Amino acid sequence: MARLIKTEKEVEGRYSEQWVVVEEDALEQWPEGPLRTVGRPATRVDGLARARGEARYTQDIQLPGMLHAAVLRSPHARARVKQIDLTTASELAGVRGAVGPGELDVLTDEPNYEGEAVAAVVADTADHARAALEEISIEWEVLEPLLDVDQALARESFLSDPKLYERGDIERGFAEADVVVEAEYRTQSVLHNALETHQTICEWEGETVNVYTSTQWLWGVRDEVAAAFDLPKDKVRVICRFMGGGFGAKGSAGDYTMIAAELARRTGRPVHCRLDRREENVNSGNRNPTIQKLRLGARSDGILTALSADYVCLLGWDGWLPPTAGPVQMLYACDNVRTVEYGVRLNSPPMDAFRAPGFVEGTFGLECALDELAAKLDLDPLELRRRNHADHDPLDERPFSGKQLMECYRRAEPHWERRHEVHARADGPWKHGVGIATQLWYGGGGPPSYAWVRLAGDGTATVLTAMQDIGTGTRTAMAQIAAEELGLPVERVTVELGDTAHGPYAVVSGGSSTTPSMGPAVRAAAGDVARQIREIAAQRFDVEERVLSLAEGKVINADGGSWLLEEITGLLEDGQILGKGARGPNPAGMRVMTYGIQVAEVAVDVETGEVVVERIYAVHDIGRVINPLGAESQIEGGIIQAIGHSLSEQRLLDPRSGKVLTRTLDAYKLPTIADVPEIVSELVDVPDAHLTNLGSKGLGEPPIVPTAAAIANAIRDATGADVRSLPITREEMLGALHEADERRRVPERVGAAPA
Amino acid sequence: MVVELTINGNAYELEAPVGRTLAEVLRLDLGLTGTKIACGEGHCGACTVQLDGVPVLSCITLVHTVGDREVTTIEGLREHPLVEAFVEADATQCGFCTPGQIVTASALLAANASPSDDEIRHAMAGNLCRCGTYPKIERAIHTVAGDGGGS
Amino acid sequence: MELLRPDSAEAAAAALGNGSVALAGGTELVPLLRDGIVRAEKLVELRDVVPRGVDGTRIGAGTTLAELEVDPDIPQALREACSLAASPQLRSMSTLGGNLLQATRCWYWRLNFPCYLHGGDTCHAKAGQHREHAIFGNERCASAHPSDPAAALLALGARLRTTSREFSLVDLYRLPTDEERNVTALEPGEVILELDVPRPEASVYLKAMERRKWSFAIVGVAAARFADSIRLGLAGVAPIPWALSSVDDLEQATPLLGTAYKVQIARALVRRAVEAVSAPAGA
Repeated sequence: MARLIKTEKEVEGRYSEQWVVVEEDALEQWPEGPLRTVGRPATRVDGLARARGEARYTQDIQLPGMLHAAVLRSPHARARVKQIDLTTASELAGVRGAVGPGELDVLTDEPNYEGEAVAAVVADTADHARAALEEISIEWEVLEPLLDVDQALARESFLSDPKLYERGDIERGFAEADVVVEAEYRTQSVLHNALETHQTICEWEGETVNVYTSTQWLWGVRDEVAAAFDLPKDKVRVICRFMGGGFGAKGSAGDYTMIAAELARRTGRPVHCRLDRREENVNSGNRNPTIQKLRLGARSDGILTALSADYVCLLGWDGWLPPTAGPVQMLYACDNVRTVEYGVRLNSPPMDAFRAPGFVEGTFGLECALDELAAKLDLDPLELRRRNHADHDPLDERPFSGKQLMECYRRAEPHWERRHEVHARADGPWKHGVGIATQLWYGGGGPPSYAWVRLAGDGTATVLTAMQDIGTGTRTAMAQIAAEELGLPVERVTVELGDTAHGPYAVVSGGSSTTPSMGPAVRAAAGDVARQIREIAAQRFDVEERVLSLAEGKVINADGGSWLLEEITGLLEDGQILGKGARGPNPAGMRVMTYGIQVAEVAVDVETGEVVVERIYAVHDIGRVINPLGAESQIEGGIIQAIGHSLSEQRLLDPRSGKVLTRTLDAYKLPTIADVPEIVSELVDVPDAHLTNLGSKGLGEPPIVPTAAAIANAIRDATGADVRSLPITREEMLGALHEADERRRVPERVGAAPA
Repeated sequence: MVVELTINGNAYELEAPVGRTLAEVLRLDLGLTGTKIACGEGHCGACTVQLDGVPVLSCITLVHTVGDREVTTIEGLREHPLVEAFVEADATQCGFCTPGQIVTASALLAANASPSDDEIRHAMAGNLCRCGTYPKIERAIHTVAGDGGGS
Repeated sequence: MELLRPDSAEAAAAALGNGSVALAGGTELVPLLRDGIVRAEKLVELRDVVPRGVDGTRIGAGTTLAELEVDPDIPQALREACSLAASPQLRSMSTLGGNLLQATRCWYWRLNFPCYLHGGDTCHAKAGQHREHAIFGNERCASAHPSDPAAALLALGARLRTTSREFSLVDLYRLPTDEERNVTALEPGEVILELDVPRPEASVYLKAMERRKWSFAIVGVAAARFADSIRLGLAGVAPIPWALSSVDDLEQATPLLGTAYKVQIARALVRRAVEAVSAPAGA
């Protein structure tokens, strides 16, 4: 019997309430520990296709008669198109069509950031299309862009009202403090730079449009295209079976999607619209820069009495305020907290979600400030964190569905203890140090998400769901879950995904929500099939259903004997057993979060400012781990991305024109294989007893959250220098070292005895 | 202008204007889409193929300069032990950089059967991976080298 | 566009000019052609006609950086400079001659801003974003020359032989002026054939980078000791490879606000390079 209830759901820190249809017979969670498949390392079921170069990404798809679109993007940060004429361009050899402002919502004649789309042409080849852009006759009125944050604040140029949060009495909190730390932190604009750029191919089939696109959310793209072209949603089919990375920037359709759809509609031919790498670095989103003013107060025993944070988030022309204040509000028990977040609107390319948006930036400031506090208190930083551990959600005292942070601290202890031997490695200009940082993040997922499972006569199973695998290994995890529930080896389970025509709705692959949202749905669907198998077997072999279970490809009778699964399914010949499953509600009245801590070891050359990250230890609590091998890869990947934004990555704008200067992958410096430290990682792997039939949370984002702060804290440990700005370039490091030197000199300057 | 190429042991002859890159010929003219283009200007290594066994960037190699050098793409390395090693080591995430990684790594192993960690990092530094599979790539290379671990 | 394959270096030189440009490894030229920064009607392929390989102190301009990075017979500074340059694939493709002639990585230049070096009258970097830019020779143009081998060859006192003349490497480069914006002094129909690189007592190349590999020099310092004198060549600090004779010369640096940190790095690397090549005490 179906029941309709409301449940709370979170995506990227934004909470909403969701109606969900609840089926009865919810499955019990599996016991803790590795099972037959779940909890054991599994290689990727699609790894061979990727390694052989046989996986077809959107960029590889060539449809007969396909045309190529190129987009005229504003070269100005702020301008008005006085006049535009597409005629000459349209009449060039090989050009099959053009579209301009006013004809498509994503095209504008008043661009407000560099890269905003103005017009597009479509031609036989990409080269023809790009050449045709040069022939578009266009007259610009270049306007003065708003680029300076102080000017923007003075003018109150905000995307939305400032977000204010308060609990307790902040003034009293600071009055009660024995020690106060106050500092400003800055983080930079970080570009996603997934290796496959944003792109879409659209092809109309009568009233239906097929949308092949590199995306993290098939269903989101479907809804957007349907709305833009006034189509019933089921007339839009979105396909993405392999995609080359997203990291948050591909959570929705883009201008290139709508341009491809419109030009395909006009020409009657498939149209491919692709961003090249430079467009990618101008106009496909970024982690927004922040300026953070933090003030922390604590008693002499280390208990936090007050946390105050002002966040100025430079969002660009569009976007939304990420939950930068989340860590300050939620990570530690503190009665008196006040945060203000400003979403500043500037004439720069807009932000987009980037792997734990807001929390990466907010954790950097908070965890660095906390270490400065520990130093002033003369208290061990790990102990300081333990003393302020929150046993209940600090926002509203809700219990946690599952929280193993103290266990994470316990496991990190021996790695933190290494600092004594690490200090001793100092050699000439090289100083060595160790730093820690705690993280929290969401990752509980939520409804709706659905799956179907189809069991064939030969005893092989197929999971059908229109979800994505953006490289995180969700295909494999779903195969393991279905295999576990059906008692099959994972080789006998196929997962079909990536096509809205071939499966039911699935959540966005973002916010670490795929495993905790899809996983339970897949298990429920497999469970539906398993139940039917047991029912059929009970009838067929005249036993009671309750003594039957599925394992090792067999139906097992607890009272003795077993049958191969094929003996049941084989009866059906062409018949199949079909199961369906849905993601149930989230545990009512509980906060669902993930936690962890990382310990960084660094070496600093104090003469040249070079920073080398030598080792990162990471331990994370994400509930039950489905695939320890894939999980380890997620942790390594998140840490390596964090090293990028810690040391070398930054989007730079020309201060006068607002143009993006770091458009190429030689100027924008991603980590290479040589930049990778020793990474030692663990997962606590205790199922979240209240969360779904799996007890699993997502791991896509937690590992990237604390690394930068751990590195900065390790640098302070090594050199005494406070690094408060990312990335930690040579200039930043040398500047911090100078300041530290100055601080040491001050007692001499005022005549006090040298320390 | 006609160009003759030997790719993965097969002979090809086709028309290509001067200025067409090897990557464009492979992907667009010959349908060999295993070789990826991520930056198109020689900065990321995704487009790496071998010319006479030497890893080069096909996105900035003019097809008419290839001459009689043998082109090896990921399609020609289907059975190379690195392919299975990458799968076993979980060295693919989104997989977009993987073909270029395997092409470069196979050349490394051909020249140096048992590379150290430093030698691996030196040889692979031109193949960027945004998903951060680097530690697993090192593991895969060591597995094929048969030394079971780094130095 | 046409591709010409002359059968001799002299024929190649004669074919250059008037919309014809030289193509060696292509790692610089091909991207610049595709960006429209260089326009050419004809490409003149040099690969088969320019000397390649090492013979005593002579190095063919067509030798690739990958070949040089593993050659035990060339001076250490040159070997190290080649090893630290670019990425492995780029080193396999690019020639020594082409590397010496490469343009700056300055983003304003590379994105085709109408800057001083492109013939305009503004250096956009000076008032703009210049963290990668020059600390010397930056009165008109603040760009930094990225070539690591050039810095090493400068310290080594290398000489060039082209299709028309022989001269010291130092004369290959000049700071841009209002009359002549080109920082390299090759004549239009001139092709570099080989370099003559003296053997020092000791040499070394140290490079500060933004990441551990595949990164243009923040500061690159080559030091070479001949008899009792040490010569220094620097990359990443001026619009052309920059010679210094001692760490004291850094007092003459003219950093911009955003490049002042490079002076400190240069100081440390120069000291270390000098120490690395200095004669052992008592020798």
